[in-house]
Order: sequence, then C-alpha cells, then structure tokens
Amino acid sequence: MQILESQIIEGIRSHDRKALASLLSFCEDDPEKANEILSHLNKKNAHIIGITGSPGVGKSSLINSILDRLKDRKIGVIAIDPSSPFTGGALLGDRIRMQSHAISQNVFIRSFASRGALGGLSPSIYEACDAFETFEMDMVLVETVGAGQSDIEIANVADTVLVLLSADGGDEIQMMKAGLMEIADIFVVNKSDNILSRNLFSKLRSVVEMGKRDIPIFLTNTIDGEGIDELIKGIDKRFLKISTDESFETIRKRRLINHAQSSIRREIDRIMDSIKFESSNIYGIKRRVIEELCKKSF
Amino acid sequence: MIKVMIAKPGLDGHDRGAKIIARALRDGGMEVIYTGIRQTPEQIAQAAVDEDVDVLGISILSGAHMKLIPKILFLLQEKKADIPVFVGGIIPEKDAVELKKMGIIEVYGPGARTSEIIEKIKGYFEHANT
Repeated sequence: MQILESQIIEGIRSHDRKALASLLSFCEDDPEKANEILSHLNKKNAHIIGITGSPGVGKSSLINSILDRLKDRKIGVIAIDPSSPFTGGALLGDRIRMQSHAISQNVFIRSFASRGALGGLSPSIYEACDAFETFEMDMVLVETVGAGQSDIEIANVADTVLVLLSADGGDEIQMMKAGLMEIADIFVVNKSDNILSRNLFSKLRSVVEMGKRDIPIFLTNTIDGEGIDELIKGIDKRFLKISTDESFETIRKRRLINHAQSSIRREIDRIMDSIKFESSNIYGIKRRVIEELCKKSF
Repeated sequence: MIKVMIAKPGLDGHDRGAKIIARALRDGGMEVIYTGIRQTPEQIAQAAVDEDVDVLGISILSGAHMKLIPKILFLLQEKKADIPVFVGGIIPEKDAVELKKMGIIEVYGPGARTSEIIEKIKGYFEHANT
C-alpha cells in the first residue's frame, strides 16, 4: 500500500477532515482504489437520506434548513450537479445555499459532478456514502441532480428517499405517474408561502390515499422554516421504524448488491474502452469482454 | 479532471466577474464549485480543503484584498492545504506585485481574457502533475 493510502486510513481513524477529503477524491477519480481503502476501515451505519426533485424545487435550501436545526448531529452532505456531455465540465452550485455550515465541525459538505452517470447521481455514489460512514456520520444527505420523472437511482442508494415538489407540480395525473413519484418514502411540498404549493399539498394527499403505502407528506418553507421541525421528526420516525422492523437489513443488502453491480459495470466499461475489437459481430465482442473480465482477480 | 473553487470574500456583492469565470472554466472542461458571495476567509479555506480542489480562484472588487487574501492564504497554510490560488478583481499593480510575493499564482484585472485564464490554470495543473 502506498504512503498516501495508509495516511488516509490513519487520518480517517483519527478523525482528520483532510483525510476524508482525500478519500472522497479517490472515490471520484479512482473508485476501485477507494473500495480497497474502504475495506480497511470500520463503518458506522448512518441514515442515508436521498433528496430528490426537479431543478430549483429547493433541495439545497431544504438541506440547509435541516443543518440549521441539527447542529448536534454529525452530517455529511453529497451535493451532485450535472456534468456537461460536451466538455465534461460542471458548475457545482449547491454549496451556495449551505455555505453558512462550511465551518461547522459537525458538517462536511462535498460537491460531486455527475460525470456521465444516469439517474441524477455520481458514478461513485456508493463509495462516497461508504466514505462518510467510515467518518462516523449520523446522517448522510444525498442531493441528486435536479431530477426528471424517471430518475430513480437514488432509491438504490438511500435508506430513505425524500421527493420534493413545489408550486407548479402539475395535476393529480402527474402525481399518479410511475417512476419518481413511486420511490418516495416521504413527500415534501416546499415553498408553502405559494398558494399553488398548498393546493398541490392537498392534491398529493388525495393521490397518496389512493395507494397502498402510507407515505407521510410535509409542507415546508425553507425561508421562514415552516414545517422543518415536523419533517425532521418524520425522518427520525422513519429511521426508527426501518431500524426496528429489520427493513434496514434488507435495504442495506440490496444496496450492497447495487454497489457491486456498479463496480462490475465500471469494470466492463473500462475493458470496453481499452480493447480494440476486431470481431464483426456482437458475439465475438461479448466473448472478448467476458474473457478479459475473467482475467481479473478480486 | 481539474476541480476549481471560485469564491468571493468580504462584503462586495459584484459577482458578475466570478460568474463569468465560473462559466468559462466550466466550458473549459473543469468542475467548478461556486460558493456564492459574502464569504469569510474561514468559510472559503475550509470549503477549499473539504472539496479537495486543485485550484482556488478568489474574486474581489471591494478594495479589501490586502486584508482578506493574506488571511485566506494563512488559513490554507494552517490547514496544511497546498492549493494554488489565483485572484481576479480590481487590484492596483503594486498590490498585485505584493500578492504574487505572498504566493498568489496570478492576478487578473478587468479585460483579462477567459481563454488566457483557462490556459494558465491548465498549464499550472499539468506542470504540477509532472
């Protein structure tokens, strides 16, 4: 093991923020190496909470409001914004809303670019969550890229998914559609100062009542803090429930399998990028990739 | 991938320059974190360390650069963060010379070309990695 990696391991064990920062960079730039480092570290289960919803609905501001109220808990924030498909560049601006917490000892905010990952996450989201768990966080808040109706990857990563909606979220039919609306463990209707948000809140309630799952809905306003305390109680109640009825184990088991899948896909992508294929049919190409994959040792 | 943070310390809210640079660097293929206006040196230094950025760009038009920039450099040093720092804004020539003596890589004023800034950062980054 190189000096840097052992330094990170030691740093994380002694609670050095800089070590966590370096580990998160490994997660971004070399996730397989990050997995190796992570395997040497102990993890403490955090409540991993996904926060998703369309652009501008108030995800970053909601995180800021949560951080305002939970000053005594150790919270990691993973804030993801989109990478350009043209230049690979990204403008990561989620942090702006949370900057007042930048110097809090209990809070660690890290911005990620989506780097081509679909579903509104980062390609190394599993590693990043694990990294925060080695730092003994109580909660990890994962803010997705402003999501569309089918961006549901977050449900594979998080223990609890908050779907945010606001004002012009559409009519009941929009809310009855499959995809994003199905993955919510908790609904948050934000911007309660807008009458349209209040209308949406009652429409959403009638839609949720049609379904089998009893999904709590909270009406919030991140400017004056309306509904934030209730939301936090709802989040904690959810964590208590999944921790006691054993669904936490199921969630984490599923998450581990998804993590492995993401790692295997990365391996396949790497192989396919590095081989110059000569075969003129897909079977030849497939055979070649699988052969290469089998050469890898784990 | 080059990761840059653009930050505005102090009380001036003139952030058009910072936004133009952030946008240009994004188009130059970099990942750019923008922290927003009215940041304290402490917030900027801690965010740069937590984000593990390759480059820090400070935009300042208030005239307080000789107070705020040394403070940021001091805090970075204190946190043992070896991050190259660029400055943009309204900086008199003699102050720019002073700032460079303190370790600032480059100081850009009005009229600086974004392409030049991108080249400089990329050049510095390549050089640092060889």
